[in-house]
Amino acid sequence: MSTVITTAGIGSSRLRTATPSFLGIVRGELLKVSRQWLTWIMLALLAGGTIFAHLLTFSIPNAKTNMSQAPLHFLYNEMEVSFSILRIFGGIFIIILTAYLIGMEYQYGTVRILLARGVGRLQLLFAKLLALVIIALALVIGLLLLNSLMICLIIDLIGGNLQALNATSPAFWSNTALYLLTVLISMGVSILMATAMGAIGRSLSIGMSASLAWFPVDNLGMLFLLLAQRLTHNDFWPNITAYLLGPNLNVMPEVILPAQIKANSIGIPPLAQVDGPHTLWVALVYGIVFAAIAIVLTWKRDVKE
Amino acid sequence: MSDKLMAEPTVRTSPSVRSDEVVLRTQNLSKQYGQRLAVDKLNLEVRRGDILGFLGPNGAGKTTTIRMLLGLITPTAGSIEILGQDLAKQRAQLLPRVGALIETPALYLYMSGRDNLRAVGSVLGGVTQARIDEVLELVGLRSRQKDRVKTYSLGMKQRLGVAMALLQDPEVLILDEPANGLDPAGIVEMRDLMQRLSAADKTVLISSHLLTEVQQICARVAIINLGKLVTETAVEKLTRGQGEYSVKLERAQEALSVVRAQAWGRNARIDTDGALITPAPEGRGRELNLFLVNAGFVPDTLMPATQDLEQIFLQLTNGGSGDIK
Repeated sequence: MSTVITTAGIGSSRLRTATPSFLGIVRGELLKVSRQWLTWIMLALLAGGTIFAHLLTFSIPNAKTNMSQAPLHFLYNEMEVSFSILRIFGGIFIIILTAYLIGMEYQYGTVRILLARGVGRLQLLFAKLLALVIIALALVIGLLLLNSLMICLIIDLIGGNLQALNATSPAFWSNTALYLLTVLISMGVSILMATAMGAIGRSLSIGMSASLAWFPVDNLGMLFLLLAQRLTHNDFWPNITAYLLGPNLNVMPEVILPAQIKANSIGIPPLAQVDGPHTLWVALVYGIVFAAIAIVLTWKRDVKE
Repeated sequence: MSDKLMAEPTVRTSPSVRSDEVVLRTQNLSKQYGQRLAVDKLNLEVRRGDILGFLGPNGAGKTTTIRMLLGLITPTAGSIEILGQDLAKQRAQLLPRVGALIETPALYLYMSGRDNLRAVGSVLGGVTQARIDEVLELVGLRSRQKDRVKTYSLGMKQRLGVAMALLQDPEVLILDEPANGLDPAGIVEMRDLMQRLSAADKTVLISSHLLTEVQQICARVAIINLGKLVTETAVEKLTRGQGEYSVKLERAQEALSVVRAQAWGRNARIDTDGALITPAPEGRGRELNLFLVNAGFVPDTLMPATQDLEQIFLQLTNGGSGDIK
């Protein structure tokens, strides 16, 4: 008899008593992500885009004068550039990755490999979410380091030294942390939205299309609501925009950060006036709804893929 | 697959040495989709060391049943016991002891064969690099382990699927069409592997359309149709003739007329090979031989008639059309 089949040794008995481990599943998910060429291409594009955006600052006329006259304003500008890239392109990266990690598993039927080994449906979903959170945090940390490096490089190239950095104050760091928080909230909601789309569509193409279309539709929908207001002369339509996810995430840094910083909305803001807590509540409610959709559908639906 | 697999074959020879331990049991297992009953009160028992062929025409409910056994589909009614425990309550403890291959193997095509095994192995833990080497060797994929799975042939993917199923050294194996895409040599090796697994006290449930393969591999078969269990019995018992004999002789048509004139021979007939299939006087072959010789027909051969599984399957499932006969 083959020794392979009769592997009833110590290792084999350990194998037989093994039960699915949450961290093991997360490790497996990270391995899958790391083996996709798309992950590395998107990372390279993100890094390239970040470097390119900062080099554009270098090419602005009177950059040296601006920096020497108002170094703190210059640093806020650089911070805004950095976080805008992170929020928009980092968001797209994480949406695509989420669609891959969840949708592809169903589309190619690989989800059954894991579930047939005793992994719970929700256990797998949460493991995927944790893997995505780890990746998102690693992405944020990596891009923050790259951005810091680029800002120092630009300052040095423009001013010949790093003296502009002396303008930083505790308020600057506190505002930077607040801005970072809005980016993390945006990425978190994006992950949950793409997860919900993946759970609904159970396919890479449907999950990815729906996820990537969400924010453009959300933003462009505003134009139709504006048109509806003009046609009906009713404020009901612009008021709806206060509850759309994309516009609220767009305006979040502007309404959360102190007014004197004059942070800009990236993308179209709501047509109605909103404040910081409102944008946070809207993001939270959307997050809960997306999570609930993903959990219920994953838990209740049979796996026929 | 590897030579190792082919070496020292230990073929399970007799189904009569079955263990009494029921490793897999379904009781009144049912699954309903809207108005359609895909599986209807299915009662199945598989004992330790059995290789059970699970047969049925397309749409009979085989895959639905297998998916319920693996916790992928929730039954509408009934229960599943694996290794004596209720699957619904002990899913996480029981399913790691079951290896499965469902239909076409689902694999991470962008990863190498080895990474596929690593990704699956990491879920449960305890799967060492050495164990991965072992299963790769077992299915003959060691030389291609670093290649992306999308470059594999269907047969190689099937082997990797089997390797995945064996990774945890499971006590029960559920294989849906394991010979899919394998060439004739691969099918022979797969058959040998199944027999080795059974000899190593593994319990195997195989769903397959290759009935000749099932007949060679399995000691028992369960046939389902329209979601209902038609029969579950030993292959030997199923294929054994109804006390009839197959006689090869010259002037078979004349012999048929003579035999049919006897009270015991009314059901006699000529089969597709031209052999006379007939009951015997007093049910004894010796008496039949004597009768034929006395009637002027000297048999070339005379042996108990058997039916192959394919014929029986077609009879029981009304030609595989889905209606129970």
